[in-house]
Amino acid sequence: MALTITCPICGKRNGYEFRYGGEEKGPRPDEKDLTPESWCDYVHMNKCVAGVQQEWWFHRDGCGSWFTIFRDTTTNLEKETPEAKE
Amino acid sequence: MMNRFNHLPTLKIDTSDKIPFTYKGKTYYGTKGDTIATALYANGVRIYARSLKYHRPRGLYSMDGECSNTMMEVNGIPNVRTETTFLKPGMVVKEQNVKGSAENDFLGFIDKMDWAMPAGFYYDTMHKPAKIWPVAMKQIRKAAGIGKLSPDHHMPGKYDEIFPTCDVCVIGGGPAGMTAALAAAQKGLRVILMEARPWLGGHFEYRTSEYIDRQTHHERAVQLAKEVEKTENIRLFTHTANVGAYNNNLITGFQIGKESDVFTERYIEIRANSVVVATGCIERPLLFENNERPGVMQAGCALRLANTYGMLPGKTAVFSIGHDLGLETAVSLHDLGMSVPVIADIREDGQDPALLKAVLDRKITILKGWVATEAHGGKQVKKVTVKSVDATVSKTYDCDVLVASAGFTPLTGPLVVNQAKLTYDNHTNFFLPTDLPKKMYAAGRLLGFENAKSIEASGHLAGLKAAYGCENCSIADLGEAKKAMENLPGPARGTKLVTAPVKGRKTFICFDEDTSIKNIKQSIDKGFDVPELIKRFSGAGLGPGQGGIPGHNLPLFTAKYQALPDIKIRPTTVRPPLVPTLIATYAGTNHTMFKRTPMDEMQRKDGGIFRNIGVWQRARYFSKDFTCKAEIENVRNNVGMLDGSTLGKFRIHGPDALNALQRVYVSDLSKIKEGRVKYTAMCNDDGCVIDDGVVVKLGENDYYFSTSTGRAGQTIEWIRYHTRYDNWNFALVNLTDAMGVINLSGPNARKVLEKVVDIDVSNEGFGFSEYKEFTIADTIPVKAMRLGFVGELSYELHVPASYMKTLWLMLNEAGKEFKIQNFGVEAQNVLRMEKCHVILGQESEQRTNLLDIGMGFLWSRKKTGYKTVGVAALAQAENDNTRLKLVGLKMENNGRAPKDGALIVDDRVRGHVCTARNSFSLNEAVGMALVEGDMSKIGTRLAFYEDECKGELIYGTVVETPFYDPEGKRMKM
Repeated sequence: MALTITCPICGKRNGYEFRYGGEEKGPRPDEKDLTPESWCDYVHMNKCVAGVQQEWWFHRDGCGSWFTIFRDTTTNLEKETPEAKE
Repeated sequence: MMNRFNHLPTLKIDTSDKIPFTYKGKTYYGTKGDTIATALYANGVRIYARSLKYHRPRGLYSMDGECSNTMMEVNGIPNVRTETTFLKPGMVVKEQNVKGSAENDFLGFIDKMDWAMPAGFYYDTMHKPAKIWPVAMKQIRKAAGIGKLSPDHHMPGKYDEIFPTCDVCVIGGGPAGMTAALAAAQKGLRVILMEARPWLGGHFEYRTSEYIDRQTHHERAVQLAKEVEKTENIRLFTHTANVGAYNNNLITGFQIGKESDVFTERYIEIRANSVVVATGCIERPLLFENNERPGVMQAGCALRLANTYGMLPGKTAVFSIGHDLGLETAVSLHDLGMSVPVIADIREDGQDPALLKAVLDRKITILKGWVATEAHGGKQVKKVTVKSVDATVSKTYDCDVLVASAGFTPLTGPLVVNQAKLTYDNHTNFFLPTDLPKKMYAAGRLLGFENAKSIEASGHLAGLKAAYGCENCSIADLGEAKKAMENLPGPARGTKLVTAPVKGRKTFICFDEDTSIKNIKQSIDKGFDVPELIKRFSGAGLGPGQGGIPGHNLPLFTAKYQALPDIKIRPTTVRPPLVPTLIATYAGTNHTMFKRTPMDEMQRKDGGIFRNIGVWQRARYFSKDFTCKAEIENVRNNVGMLDGSTLGKFRIHGPDALNALQRVYVSDLSKIKEGRVKYTAMCNDDGCVIDDGVVVKLGENDYYFSTSTGRAGQTIEWIRYHTRYDNWNFALVNLTDAMGVINLSGPNARKVLEKVVDIDVSNEGFGFSEYKEFTIADTIPVKAMRLGFVGELSYELHVPASYMKTLWLMLNEAGKEFKIQNFGVEAQNVLRMEKCHVILGQESEQRTNLLDIGMGFLWSRKKTGYKTVGVAALAQAENDNTRLKLVGLKMENNGRAPKDGALIVDDRVRGHVCTARNSFSLNEAVGMALVEGDMSKIGTRLAFYEDECKGELIYGTVVETPFYDPEGKRMKM
């Protein structure tokens, strides 16, 4: 796997060491007024951006922390800062 | 056998050491240092194989494995490139794709049938009538095969893998690669240098011509190699082919082991900060009639046969070349005793004056602006016709070797697979990389440099650029290196494509697929006018050589044939693996890895039969009776001991520990009292049940909990994932491996425990569902729980792994009088099934939610504000009556139990059996099944369909659960 991921604690490491945790979607919605539809959207609907997206990764074979990175899904390269969508 | 030189400094063979091997059933001898192909050559073999389609004889051509010419079967492994594979004693070598022998192939007549097989012949002719396809295909496959692998072939050897990292990775150990590695290493960087050949030196290594001031190229190569070898921060991998290059500079390859190495081959995956590609060049084949006749070979091949392997390729060599290495080869071979009647040089001018003088001094005829147009001779070259490039004058020479080489082809593979684009360069006649990938640099001959000093200087510059990429080199240093380059000769002028003025019926552009110039013309005439299409239509470059032979010529010829003014045509796409790699090398070592529990050794001694369960090996049975009758009955009647160490065990503490538990567990854990055990479950966001276990409150904000064996690895990830936005303050520790668990179960369990511990274990002192901490013999700290998974009086003792053996022995000793016995996982499975206690993953599958398996009672609907994982979905699923339900079942007429996984059917599939066994406790077959909601009523008749039952169904009924001790008196006694 050519992907590398920069863990905030352990630094830049091989993608093998991490587990993907999905797109960044914000915190869990409040239970109040939660409809099945909005819940389902939160859990299952993804933007599937062709470009830079913020996403969660878990350093499984390392420090065991969850963090987000920005990755260009078209090149599989990490970006240091988010870029405006073209 | 031919006499071998033993006086050349460049030799890599030891003529005093003979190596026996078998070829076509007869014993031959090679010399230490030989490849299989050179050993055969020394024994007079000239025809190594027959070609794929026309069964044309094929011989030694390039020496670097760019074509299938010398592929043979070695020790039962087909398609071994014998020109790059070193000879080992006792090797059994066979020809492949021949009927008869390579020398006399009965299918050789096909060569004359080429008119019947134009480009795209399969596509054009093989679609109608469809009926002949199966027959035709069989015959074609028989005639056109490249090696056969026996279905029961077992790959010998040891395969390994390593994953090193470095600052700078240099691909190619020639002069440019070595200087690049040295330049980067001198900056203090960690460098990896990989070289495909077994030794460093590249194209300097085998040349005895002058480098500078009477030093030969060979001596210079040795000098650089010594410097590299003594540089401590260069890690050297020789005999290591580069296979791929990917973004973020991930470089892959494989190394072939030396005799002293523990591996046969090993996969290497390098993560580098910067990469220098200094792969150099191969030769571009010359196109003329019969240009692959045995006896025709490239200049480097002829020169290396002499200088590296100590033998002359033949008696008389005619040269048709387009570069100075060709002239140098002619001079070298002449000096070693070969007769060189003529050199036809494609170039009108531009030859190196010193070389030209050397040629003339030796009275070798040189024809400038001439080229070979046809090789004659049935199976080997006997004569060659050369013509002036304008085809006005023609001469014929007798010879047994024709050294033919049109020019050079840069090995841009690593750059291209890492997304560099190639553009045609009019000066070098190369397709050169533009837009190099990030922190990837090119150096040396592949950029067109031919001057030795320039090659080294470009290597030095690339090494510094790579160091600069690692932020370890100043701009001033870079500038200096650039300036040094400016004073040296730039890239050399390359030779344009020159083809003999013939129809090209037997002028092969691709040897592997027998694609001739005529086939290319046919493809273009049919409208397939770019290399990517021609490749697929004509097969050129699709063979095992992966474009090594046609890669450069195909786009050049395509442009020329279409008379394009400017070569914008790009070569075909190169993809990894750049060099064919054994599947065994990718597979690496045996990956069967598992964890052993602290009781592993003792249980094996007791006759445990182990099975892989998740990441663990566990004792499944303790006898060959796989129904486990004795083990089960002993637990029901006396007392048994189970190793439960694989259970996930965790401690969570800190101000937000309870919040975190409330988030992932469906029960309300705020109500657990200290000293009590709470059984509960985790769901995922879809309400599907993923884990169950018990939670114990150790103190304020301090909890101990267990998970199922399979979930132990993911639990920390799971809890942290679902609390990742909350900034909660808690610490979570995985104690799974630190703690072992003994499950002591059976009516006599209390009597056994009593003898070992000091605390009161009476039903009043230590009741059902209670938790106690105590020490045994003032030493072993125990966390004890009274549970009832198997449905009997039962204690689960959690102790540090290091004390497990001691406690095990103590309990065994204490339990002797109460008939204590081991029981394994299968016995436990039956025991708990009789109680209808579920095992997640067995009574549930991925889509099964908490309510489906009847465990809705664990879900605390009153608990709000914790955003508990899964409850939103559970609330929705509660009103859904279309879901599968878990039911108990009993077989009709005392029938046997259905197999686990058997389908429940009526006119369609209605569910499946989760677990079912013939119960000894109940004397009948019972089990649990997931069935559609409308079939879950007590008394419903179920029909079971098993694998291979041939339509014979067996029947059962839905019954009340649990089957055994429905009031649960036994586990509470």
